[in-house]
Amino acid sequence: MKGQKIFCPPPVVQGLVILVFVFGCCLNAFAQGVTPVENVKAIDTPNDDGKSITISWEKSPDDSAGSESVTGYKVLRQSPDGEFEEVAPIPAGTTLYVDEGTERGVAYSYIVQAITAAGLTVDSEATLPVKATGEWFHSGKIWIFLAVLLYSAVVVYCIYHARSGKELFIRRIPGLEAVDEAIGRATEMGRSIMYILGLGGVSNVATIASMNILSQVAQKTADYETPLRVPCNDPIVMNVVREMVKTAYLNEGRPDAYSEENIFFLTESQFAYAAGVDGMMVREEPAAVFLQGTFYAESLILAETGNSIGAIQIAGTDKEHQLPFFIAACDYTLIGEELFAASAYLSREPMLLGSLKGQDYGKVMIFGAIIIGVVLELCGISWMTVFFQQVR
Amino acid sequence: MRRQVPLVLCFAFGIVMALTEFSPHQWSKWINEEVIDWALVIGPFALVIAIATLVQTHWTRIRRRTEHWQYSYLVFGGMIIMLLIGIPTFLNKIPFLSKIGLSFGQKSPIFVWLFNHVQVPMDATMFSLLAFFIASAAYRAFRARTLEATLLLGAALIVMIGNVPIGDFIWNAVMPFGENLPSDARQWILDNPNLSARRGIILGISLGVISQSIRIILGIERSYLGGVEGE
Repeated sequence: MKGQKIFCPPPVVQGLVILVFVFGCCLNAFAQGVTPVENVKAIDTPNDDGKSITISWEKSPDDSAGSESVTGYKVLRQSPDGEFEEVAPIPAGTTLYVDEGTERGVAYSYIVQAITAAGLTVDSEATLPVKATGEWFHSGKIWIFLAVLLYSAVVVYCIYHARSGKELFIRRIPGLEAVDEAIGRATEMGRSIMYILGLGGVSNVATIASMNILSQVAQKTADYETPLRVPCNDPIVMNVVREMVKTAYLNEGRPDAYSEENIFFLTESQFAYAAGVDGMMVREEPAAVFLQGTFYAESLILAETGNSIGAIQIAGTDKEHQLPFFIAACDYTLIGEELFAASAYLSREPMLLGSLKGQDYGKVMIFGAIIIGVVLELCGISWMTVFFQQVR
Repeated sequence: MRRQVPLVLCFAFGIVMALTEFSPHQWSKWINEEVIDWALVIGPFALVIAIATLVQTHWTRIRRRTEHWQYSYLVFGGMIIMLLIGIPTFLNKIPFLSKIGLSFGQKSPIFVWLFNHVQVPMDATMFSLLAFFIASAAYRAFRARTLEATLLLGAALIVMIGNVPIGDFIWNAVMPFGENLPSDARQWILDNPNLSARRGIILGISLGVISQSIRIILGIERSYLGGVEGE
């Protein structure tokens, strides 16, 4: 030990070290005066695929309480190796955080730190470990599920009830009554019929409904030997439509009248499709134009061109924004559910008609709910309104 | 058998896919995404057939010299140019072509230029035609021949005047009462009669979609399978 020097800092530095120590102790004492976050709970987030945990807490009484108050929080997650790591900084006033960075089936516990203006932190107690798991049923959708189930049961009942052969009253739909008129007119004039399926893909229900109408139209054009032109926007739709129309012609005993060239692909581009169809309309001047399916901004471009050539036009779409355009420019428009009723209406098949009856009962149920809701609301009772607002 | 297999598949997948809408579980999500991916696989095959029909249609037009057949050459020209520039990305590896500034693929400047300076302006031109078509359709729709058409005309006038700032400006300058009445009336029309009618239509469409889906799942509606041959 002899000859070894012991380092001794100068008195000024010693004084500074003591000052910093004393100041730190004071701050710590102050931080200990801040009430920590309480009642911290971590639960598996309900109705998710098992990839998140929801942490909730009661905010510190010192949250935004004054100049020396809690200015924010930090959520710390205990990783599987036991270390706590910061998940996210959270502003003051917040009492809930959803941690979406968890792994399925791994247990995590959490701490919520309150942060003061001076940058000091006060820890809450750690939560019990919780695992994120996926739920098989979304409890928030229970009412929608039950409503769909009830409506489906009514439709299925009506379908099978219709098998008994009992006459069903189906209200007259002028747009569908006019289908025969349109085909007859084209036949008399010796001109073609143009059937436009819109921009929907084959998985679109409106496109399927449109294809079902096309099938009925094709049977009639096969009978009358009227050329049926179908420009398609979707390649899959084109292939399905070719098969459908071919089968319709076969069923009518007119396979010779079927021409594959009349069902063709134009383009997938929206306005290029509109331009192509418009050009065909102007050149070929079809006597009847059917616009059935999903349409967007091109609806009026097509309908007005059809109107300008004097074609009889029957339109129908599931896009309610486009309906006013069709109503203004076409002779007949299928509104709302009429598009989906068309196939049943035209084929007059009892089971399909039964489903229309079910559809009507569905409307009666909704109508009844609206009337009851309005009456209750007028009486100052708003539980029904609140209930429907909560159903998502 | 030709009909039974698709009908059974349709029933099974229809029910499963409907149930996945009510299940947030990871397996449910996986099934949903996987089935949608399967559907996407069919697309390219169908596209090949579709392009073949496009070529066939225009080739027939040229052969038969139908009206405006010359434009079919433009279709072929456009198609060939875009295919030649957009597809052979392997040509980017040839130093000579890179040196003279030729590049291929969807990020090629030539491909992007053609898209931005040919297709986009043509799309915009078609879209802008809508303004004229709206004017001509509105003229026909608003002719006050019936009570309904008169009501429509009145509502349309209020909405149009309420939509432009000058409507409120003129009203406030001329009328001593009802500040900003045109825009308030417009908002009332949109929020009440218009929204109610729209919601009614949406409810009808939703019921129609469910009903149509049930018919397809149960195999009652089969037209989409290519008609009901022999029945």
